Amino acid sequence: MVEQDIIRMVNEVFNESFEIPEDKLVPGANIFNDLGLDSLDIVDLVVALQKKFAVTIRDDERVRTIRTLGDIHNFIQLIKKENKK
Amino acid sequence: MRRVAITGLGAITPLGNSVDAFISGLERGENATQYMPEWEKYTGLRCLVGAPARMQDEKLIPRQNRRSMGRLSIFAVQAAEQAVKDAGILPAELSSGRLGCVIGSTMGSAESINEAFETILPDHDLSKLTSTKFFQCISHTAALNVGQYLGITGTVMSTNAACASALQAIGTGYDIIRLGGQDMMLCGGAEGLHPTVVGSFDVLFAASSTFNQDPKNTPRPFDARRDGLVCAEGSGIVVLEDYERAQKRKAKIYAEIIGYNSFGNGNHVSESNREAIIACVNETLTRAAVAPGEVDYINAHATATIQGDKEEAAAIRQIFGDTVPVSSLKGNIGHTLGASGSLELIASLMMMEKGVIYPTLNLQEPDKDCRGIKHVMEPLKKEIRIFLKNCFAFGGINAALICKKT
Repeated sequence: MVEQDIIRMVNEVFNESFEIPEDKLVPGANIFNDLGLDSLDIVDLVVALQKKFAVTIRDDERVRTIRTLGDIHNFIQLIKKENKK
Repeated sequence: MRRVAITGLGAITPLGNSVDAFISGLERGENATQYMPEWEKYTGLRCLVGAPARMQDEKLIPRQNRRSMGRLSIFAVQAAEQAVKDAGILPAELSSGRLGCVIGSTMGSAESINEAFETILPDHDLSKLTSTKFFQCISHTAALNVGQYLGITGTVMSTNAACASALQAIGTGYDIIRLGGQDMMLCGGAEGLHPTVVGSFDVLFAASSTFNQDPKNTPRPFDARRDGLVCAEGSGIVVLEDYERAQKRKAKIYAEIIGYNSFGNGNHVSESNREAIIACVNETLTRAAVAPGEVDYINAHATATIQGDKEEAAAIRQIFGDTVPVSSLKGNIGHTLGASGSLELIASLMMMEKGVIYPTLNLQEPDKDCRGIKHVMEPLKKEIRIFLKNCFAFGGINAALICKKT
């Protein structure tokens, strides 16, 4: 999966699940302070990412370190690589 | 005890999403029943008619509020906003601790409950469930969502007594204000239309099933050709207020609540019972200090089931004889279940204001078991000083409320 696909699909999650417009979805955006997500949204973000990318990340400790959209892009890319092995 | 006034109204109904649209539909004698083609996929569901409300402007509710709302809670929030505006309640009053809300529904959002099961059951996997689905499914979903959305810091509670939910909510709010616990209460009920709910009536042969190709002719309360109820949806919210407070601030007072009661029948979960209805209504009359002859109008529960209408008619006949006008609005809007008590109360308040009684739509030939009471079959001009509102629910729960013009 190329990086552009990951960015597009993560953006789709933020648009579909959290109704955040495209122009706010930049890699440096903090998902809490800039995009307004809270603790309940994080649960839904994990559910939506699992569905969108067909991955299992709910109990992955690395999820807790995610702060920006860019962190999500990198995390998904990493997970996808790990799953290929 | 303090007196209690009704000072605000809000309605989302199958006839439109405001009190004005609702009343205009009633005035025009409209019936909101529709054939529901999307229900055809349910094997064993004979009733394929319903009376849906129109979901609109829901995106005006911020996402972080809306995410915990199923269909019925969105209706409740929209009706509550209308009622707050109508009563002229200030934002600071909502969060004063002196204003509360009691809002009931038959259950949590049926649509959301269905979605939750569809998510979990195929793989028995709970990890796919979103964080707020629970808040849509929970039994007090309407009350919690209205409370959160409006920032209510007073009493927030729910009454879940199926078709008596809204009237119990209003009765509870009435008692809380009478006792001095709160100064204002947003009260009422909400319901979402879903085939699984229709099915619960259909399995008991209580839902209309012979008018699927002729939906405008059902439901038929008290009529000889009635064949069951038509499920509907929406929300009705009223603002209750300490009477003196309302007078002091020169609020519009639609009516004063002067009596309320809810009794169980103690003998059957689904069959109405005339003796129990009589006991409930008589106690309400006693509490209101009103004689049967002083009642100008009875807004009946009458859902168009064979058994329920017969028992209600018998109870009315015994208490009131054939002199007090009676009508049911189910012929117009179907049975809005947990919202019916408040929506039909709102319509009765508007009849009081306009001096007209809206008839029972589709009542063409009163059934022999439903005769001996004064059926209103055409619009009737009449001054209403006192009216009675009935609601009867599965579980053998009856409720009645009496309002007086001020």
